[in-house]
Amino acid sequence: MAAEGGIFTFAPAIAVLPFVSFLIALSAGRYMPKKGAFAGIAATGGSLLLSLLMVAQVASGHAHHMELYTWVGGEGVPFELTFGILLDQLSTLMLVIVSTIAFLVHVFSLGYMNDEGEPGLPRYYAELGLFTASMLAFVFSDNILMAFMFFELVGLCSYLLIGFWFRRSGPPSAAKKAFLVTRFGDYFFLIGVVGIFATFGTGMFGGPGVEESFPVLAEEAMSAMAAGEAMPEAVTTFFGLSPGAWFGVLGLLVLGGVMGKSAQFPFHTWLPDAMEGPTPVSALIHAATMVAAGVYLVARMYGFYALLPTLLAIIAFVGGFTALFAATMGVVKDEIKQVLAYSTISQYGYIMLGLGGGGYVAGVFHLTTHAFFKALLFLGAGSVIIAMHHNEDMWEMGGLKDRMPVTYYAFLSGSLALAGIVPFSGFWSKDEVLYETLVHGLGGSPILLGAYLMGIVAVFFTGFYTFRMVLLTFHGDPRSDLAEDPEPVRWNVKIPLAILGTLAAVVGVINLVPVHAVVGAVPEFLHDWLFHGPETLNGAHYEELTEQFAGYSAGAIPGLGGLGTLFASAGVSLAVALAGSALALGLYRGPDPAEHTEKLGALKTVLYNNYYQDEYQVWLAQDLTEGTVAGTAKRFDDGVVDGLVNRVSDVSLVSGYFLRRVQTGIVSNYAALITLGLVVLLVAFGIMGGWFGGVFA
Amino acid sequence: MAVPVQYYLVLSAAIFCIGLFGILTRRNALMFLMSVELMLNAANINFVAFSFQHGNLTGQVFSLFTMALAAAEVAVGIGIVLVLYRNFADVDVTKATTLRW
Amino acid sequence: MMIEALIGLCLLGAGVVMFTPDRYAAKVAFGWSLLPLALSGLMLLNFDGTGNALLGGTLAFEEQFTWITLGPYDLSWHVGLDGISMPLVALSTLLTSLAILSAWTPITKRQNQFYGLVLLLEASLVGVFAALDFFLYFVFWEAVLIPMYFLVGIWGGARRKYAAIKFFVYTNIASLVLFIGFFGLVFGLGDSISSLDLPEIAQALRAGELGSLAGGLIGPELLALSAFVAMFIGFGVKVPIVPFHTWLPDAHVEAPTPISVLLAGVLLKMGTYALLRFNFTMLPEVARSLAVPIAALAVISVIYGALLALGQSDLKRVVAYSSVSSMGYVILGLVAYTSYGLGGATFQMVSHGLISGLMFACVGVIYNVTHTREIGDMAGIAERMPLTVGAFVAGAFAYAGLPLMAGFAAEFFIFVGAFQSTVIAGNGMAVMTALAMFGIVIVAGYLLWAMQRSLFGPFEFDGDYDVTRAARHDVVPLVVLIIVIIALGTFPDDTFFRMITDAVGPLVDGGPAEAAIGSGGGSS
Repeated sequence: MAAEGGIFTFAPAIAVLPFVSFLIALSAGRYMPKKGAFAGIAATGGSLLLSLLMVAQVASGHAHHMELYTWVGGEGVPFELTFGILLDQLSTLMLVIVSTIAFLVHVFSLGYMNDEGEPGLPRYYAELGLFTASMLAFVFSDNILMAFMFFELVGLCSYLLIGFWFRRSGPPSAAKKAFLVTRFGDYFFLIGVVGIFATFGTGMFGGPGVEESFPVLAEEAMSAMAAGEAMPEAVTTFFGLSPGAWFGVLGLLVLGGVMGKSAQFPFHTWLPDAMEGPTPVSALIHAATMVAAGVYLVARMYGFYALLPTLLAIIAFVGGFTALFAATMGVVKDEIKQVLAYSTISQYGYIMLGLGGGGYVAGVFHLTTHAFFKALLFLGAGSVIIAMHHNEDMWEMGGLKDRMPVTYYAFLSGSLALAGIVPFSGFWSKDEVLYETLVHGLGGSPILLGAYLMGIVAVFFTGFYTFRMVLLTFHGDPRSDLAEDPEPVRWNVKIPLAILGTLAAVVGVINLVPVHAVVGAVPEFLHDWLFHGPETLNGAHYEELTEQFAGYSAGAIPGLGGLGTLFASAGVSLAVALAGSALALGLYRGPDPAEHTEKLGALKTVLYNNYYQDEYQVWLAQDLTEGTVAGTAKRFDDGVVDGLVNRVSDVSLVSGYFLRRVQTGIVSNYAALITLGLVVLLVAFGIMGGWFGGVFA
Repeated sequence: MAVPVQYYLVLSAAIFCIGLFGILTRRNALMFLMSVELMLNAANINFVAFSFQHGNLTGQVFSLFTMALAAAEVAVGIGIVLVLYRNFADVDVTKATTLRW
Repeated sequence: MMIEALIGLCLLGAGVVMFTPDRYAAKVAFGWSLLPLALSGLMLLNFDGTGNALLGGTLAFEEQFTWITLGPYDLSWHVGLDGISMPLVALSTLLTSLAILSAWTPITKRQNQFYGLVLLLEASLVGVFAALDFFLYFVFWEAVLIPMYFLVGIWGGARRKYAAIKFFVYTNIASLVLFIGFFGLVFGLGDSISSLDLPEIAQALRAGELGSLAGGLIGPELLALSAFVAMFIGFGVKVPIVPFHTWLPDAHVEAPTPISVLLAGVLLKMGTYALLRFNFTMLPEVARSLAVPIAALAVISVIYGALLALGQSDLKRVVAYSSVSSMGYVILGLVAYTSYGLGGATFQMVSHGLISGLMFACVGVIYNVTHTREIGDMAGIAERMPLTVGAFVAGAFAYAGLPLMAGFAAEFFIFVGAFQSTVIAGNGMAVMTALAMFGIVIVAGYLLWAMQRSLFGPFEFDGDYDVTRAARHDVVPLVVLIIVIIALGTFPDDTFFRMITDAVGPLVDGGPAEAAIGSGGGSS
């Protein structure tokens, strides 16, 4: 495959460039101007350019797969483990997103880290480079093992970056939590990976020139079972389960990793704590790397999930529930980054909802728009935080609108997108997610309607907390001296904000579904893009699969028809978003807004404490596992196992203590013993030899 | 004329038992040594008696060896007794019990 | 003559260093230890063995001549390397050099004797991995104990005598048990063998030549079973397998750090290597029939060892117990009888040797500076010794199975191999594997926990010592180990794994229930 490579020959460089910047920053960063930032900027810029070239190449109809090298192979092993690159519509799109945001984050870091005079900058840029490299490599992985490996490296880098300020006590703890919670998810993921290899003998996702891939094998096995034929040779199921059931188990296991990384309930607890890291890192983690990795994986192996209706329903429900659950928590938070953290959890819930609801394109679309507007919001928050001298409490802010207009308008653009207000990008993608779920729910999978309902309720809360955040931060009168006189930010902050602000507003044009439905001339770029992927990896194929195996078909609201349903869905979600935003406007408008959270009563306490999710998880990890179980194990080991060993030695010591009493030191006693022994021996020999004439015989 | 060999054996056994009795009951190191000599000589009597009985000189040669050994043993033994006396101001073997655990 | 040269070099070095004045001993010892290291590197490059040493493979650097004739048995000097032992020999020489370098700071008294004993230890270790005659093997096996006893007993910590004696007695009793077990087999084979040559014995056993003992009282099956159990216990102590592990934390904690490096890095591998060579190669049917208890022991070792590590407050104890956990994976991989399982187990021996060596070396460097290993006694030392802490973090993640480092490669091979194994009916091994894999969560838990409390946060230190950067020669071993670990994890095939799978291949094919992919259970 590599021979016909052309520009694809340079594909590995997409990940290698940031890796080189990691090496440079690590080894020589302290001697360089800006402590290695320029190396990172150049590398991510190069990656971005290459990614765009790849997109252009793929657009000309050449999805590409290349094998890099064989990790393990040869005669001795039943199947090879390889590293390779898969460049198709999905991965190139994601490469562009990741490298764009990484590039902007690097630039922004000049303002956020260098200008603030942080120590340890070479380490920062090195870790950032490694982070980007890992994520890019994860994105273009051609098999699930390679994906897992870089998935883990992404986890490592987020650990390092969240814990960047290791001299404080908070960040190391948050970093540990992030790694452990996602590791817990990855435990299941790893079992899933191992299981996939054991089941199919390959972990390939597919793509041009790939002979065997596990989604295709799974599909063949399912079709064969449905037709009552024998399973394909290459597929082995375990525990005597039918292919459907066993693949479901595998899918669930992999989903564990997805939920961990994408912070889906109940693995979401690490993400708000991860705000301890530098804000540019938060932007990177939330928009394009760590958290995105989970849902990207679902999209990457959608051909597998599409076979399993139960799994799709679980994904949809987890997503819908997380969207709602996290949105309610975001309503009461006081710190700007906390609000954004919960909004991230919630938005990834939507992406999961879209994927689970049969909306492959919708999910990827929301992943794309969210990447831009969430990066924007975080960088905007970073700008505010610079201005506020690292005070993040929104109640100390206010009135920043006039003092930092660039930040304000960019932030507003992102907020409108987040809230889902037409025509900002978030509206189009969120609407499509909800719409796809709705129509599939109506069309024969009523269970999805429950997930849809949670999603639509969450829209209300999203609108509410978004505008609460905007109003508290930028509007009204300044509520502190810092807000009165914020520190100005420089070009390196403003330019990324401006770029992302524009993108967040307009990136929705890549898939204007409702517009396309009316005016056919307006194309659905993303839809077409993803539907023209390589065989078995494109949206059309996934649609067939969901229809054939999961029974997903598009329904409509009775009496409205297809088009009517489309607009009804869009109208409802827009109305709900506006309602939420309006409520926030009503409550927090004015120069000096009041805290209304008191009115929530006991609910407020519950929300403030995040439904006590942290408490039970910390209890599980710390009190139960570390305290009780490990403590018991230690006591058991010291007392019983080692105790037994020591008792054995005690027994020999004690018996020695008594036996040595025989050694009195008195010669006469020894002589007597010798005599006695001799007599006994003589008698014994005598009896044995029959000297006593058979008396004893 | 010839004394039957049994008589010698009984004599030897008697002397051996006297020596053994001495070892078991006496506390004086010198008496110990003398008792050991008695036992050795009991063995010598056996050697000579059997040698005579079998018409073979090996036993007599052996008894010569034993005598030489006994002489050496007495030399060493008396040396030990002297040291014992020097260290414990006594030749009572039951008092020298420090060479144990 | 390469192996003889290697052993001879170490012995000669031991002699030379013993008589070097204390002042120069450290440097002479390090310089000398580079010779065997270079030689083993040369051997690695010229390695031309194929197949399994015991099952008729072609050996590299083989030498054989009769040494002593004892009754019906010829005892011979028979050494040679295959794909299993070659990596372990390389590991031994590398770790010895690095251990000597990391001893420069902490060892201040009787240096010439210390380094002499270390080189003596190296000679015995190489001998253990290279020997192919039981008599020779056992001589080296026991010879390891002697320098180790003195190294722990003289240069150790406060309770060094207790630890040294416990280590010595425990492993010696184990040697007795395995000796009895092995000789049960030898006598059971009767006339079908004429020497204690391990390949001969292994092939005779696999050919089913085992007879009865005690006039038919103990039949071949019972004999094989009891010999297997005896050898499993005997070697299991060295591994160590729970519940025979309690000598390990004591020995580790009391041993001086360079010795801990060797103890965890190489000595434990003697146990797993022997299990592979003796139990799993010679008596595969018994191993398969005992797969359930063995796999259960492996899982218990992994989880229980990890939980114990979680419960410790002494950094060295944390690492020591985590060795118990990691070695459990090796047992799991061995019992799987698949190429990935056996190969992964062997790869894990090397990888764990490097990683635990790295961790102990890091703890040692921290101890050199702070004179404490208690997690509660220090906080935030990352600020003062960034390089060491960086190495510690790298080591911890390697331990936790971070991809592209050796630990992940080894553990992944074991998991894949064990998952698809059919030695337990009804995919029982898949369940066992899934259970054992939970170890990767706990291991991350206790290492991150320990790091967070002792390395990060605001700087705090209860002690009179000036906490400052470590000496350069302390850091060099850490860096070297990290590089090797990453190289092994990124290119497992090009380093050792292909060599290893080649050597374990005959074990997979020879068994009654071939566990290749596609022949697993389940519906069809």
